[in-house]
Amino acid sequence: MATHDILVSEGLAIGHGGNVIMTGIDFRLAPGRILAIVGPSGCGKSTLMRSLSGLDLPLGGRSEVLGHDLAVATATEREGTLRRLGFLFQGSALFSSLTLRENVELPMREFLRAPRREIRALAEYKLALVGLADAMDKMPAEISGGMAKRAGIARAMALDPDLIFLDEPSAGLDPLTSGRLDELILKLRDAFGTTIVLVSHEVPSILRIADFCVYLDPDAGRMGAYGPPRDFLAAGSHAKAHAFFSQAQIS
Amino acid sequence: MSHAPASPPRARTEVLADGTTVITLGGDWNLQAATPAIAFKGDQVRLVTEQLGDFDSSLPGWIHAHFRQVRRLDLSALPSRLRSLVELAEQSTTTPSPVATGGLLERFGGWGLESSSSWGRAFEHIGDVALGFGRLLIGRARVNWQDFWLQLQTAGVDALPIVALLGFLTGLIMAYVGLIQLRQVGATVYVANLVSLAMTREMGALMTGVIACGRTATSFASQLGSMNVSQETDALRVLGINPVEYLGLPRILAVTLMVPLLSVFATFIGVFGGMIVACAGDLSVSQYLTQVVVAISFRSFLVGFIKSIAFGFIAAWAGCYRGAVAKPSALGVGEAATSAAVLGITLIVISDALFAVIFNLFNF
Repeated sequence: MATHDILVSEGLAIGHGGNVIMTGIDFRLAPGRILAIVGPSGCGKSTLMRSLSGLDLPLGGRSEVLGHDLAVATATEREGTLRRLGFLFQGSALFSSLTLRENVELPMREFLRAPRREIRALAEYKLALVGLADAMDKMPAEISGGMAKRAGIARAMALDPDLIFLDEPSAGLDPLTSGRLDELILKLRDAFGTTIVLVSHEVPSILRIADFCVYLDPDAGRMGAYGPPRDFLAAGSHAKAHAFFSQAQIS
Repeated sequence: MSHAPASPPRARTEVLADGTTVITLGGDWNLQAATPAIAFKGDQVRLVTEQLGDFDSSLPGWIHAHFRQVRRLDLSALPSRLRSLVELAEQSTTTPSPVATGGLLERFGGWGLESSSSWGRAFEHIGDVALGFGRLLIGRARVNWQDFWLQLQTAGVDALPIVALLGFLTGLIMAYVGLIQLRQVGATVYVANLVSLAMTREMGALMTGVIACGRTATSFASQLGSMNVSQETDALRVLGINPVEYLGLPRILAVTLMVPLLSVFATFIGVFGGMIVACAGDLSVSQYLTQVVVAISFRSFLVGFIKSIAFGFIAAWAGCYRGAVAKPSALGVGEAATSAAVLGITLIVISDALFAVIFNLFNF
């Protein structure tokens, strides 16, 4: 039976170049929810995200995005599904030879049939949403890391995706900017109903915005726990996830 | 989520007695559908909805594009989801900066300023290189010697096949063209003089210089340019290491050493190429070689050798300079590689002309 969940992972195994680093990743996510992937550095959070979004093939198990298993989907299905995904890379990955506006316009120009003027207006709106109305004609080399992250989010949102992957959106940002980014993510979710999957180390931010949380346990090489992040604050939950959450909260 | 059947997006305009423009929005709005055109006057606008169906970011985007300049915009009648999407963008919006499109004179001035500053930077870079060499001589320069050995290999030894091929073909073509002309006056034996003199004095050095520009200068420009992109040159600078010295000197030194050697090699191969054509038709091998020995003096060999040192330096410098000033973007690196080759070849040809004048003055 077709599932209603937007993202499904069943016994997924991930890794690099054929080496499995994490197995037994099981969870389901309903539309409009925010999922945080957490765990110690190097445990495979970004790799999991790449695998879920179809950038890398899984090394075992299966995953389903928007009702399609990208590992076995036909080229047309795959293309159609990828078009409904947005991705913010860790380093923002803005095209360095295009202005911010052109960066956001690029997916629209490729996939929308709207006239140039309308695409321009839409790109301006998306950049205004992330607070970059003043920096639209700047080149990526001329802006700060936080602005690049926000421009990356604007580009990821260009085609109104159903699901957005954000790889460490608030890494390297000051608490104020990072707080505003959290607020933006929540607002975008509430307004567009977008499902969001993010990798983050910031426990306060995870507690604020995430509905669910996947904890990856590198020592066991398996997914440690899955559930609402507040559950991990209570003693008696998964020991390592609890340690991760409570220690980060103290600091 | 979608309502079927979808109706096209609508926007109706009415003006009330108090001057307020009321815009009524309706229909289904999505990114693939054309948005309605609208015309209104005044700075007091109220947005309302009527039979508004499904919408995505095209509707708030449309509102943002048309009404962000309106002084008194009343959104209170909009559904809360739509209102929050519009307000989210309004919060951060300030007046858009006009795109600067200068007149012809302004652009000409800009071009002038830019080219004069680029000449300035070029001379500054040459100065840095000269100072670096000075410091190298007194043993105080920080140079990456690993790069030096690597460049001897990549700019020198690895270039042997292409230099051999082009040198051989150059000699061959010259002998062929020369033979046709010399046959008319019955002086075919002088084809050996023609080829050997041209190769030693001129073509050996010139061809190798041009190859160095195409192979090495472009590679230097993209190497150093991408180091700019990833801030590696800045990382060197904060360590107190001059990037021109550390990255530029070993490259310039290696190429300035290797191009003369390659040029000598190209000269010999070119003379050999000429021999193949000459001996296939009119001359015997011994006749050709005798004429070659008569034609080439140590002096003409020296002329080619001195030139090739200069050409090697120019090619390497052009690559390092364009790489050092490359804009930190993918496009900037590409431009740096192209302009390194153009700059290198242009300077080589110009300096070749200068050499001709100078050697002529001194009867060399």
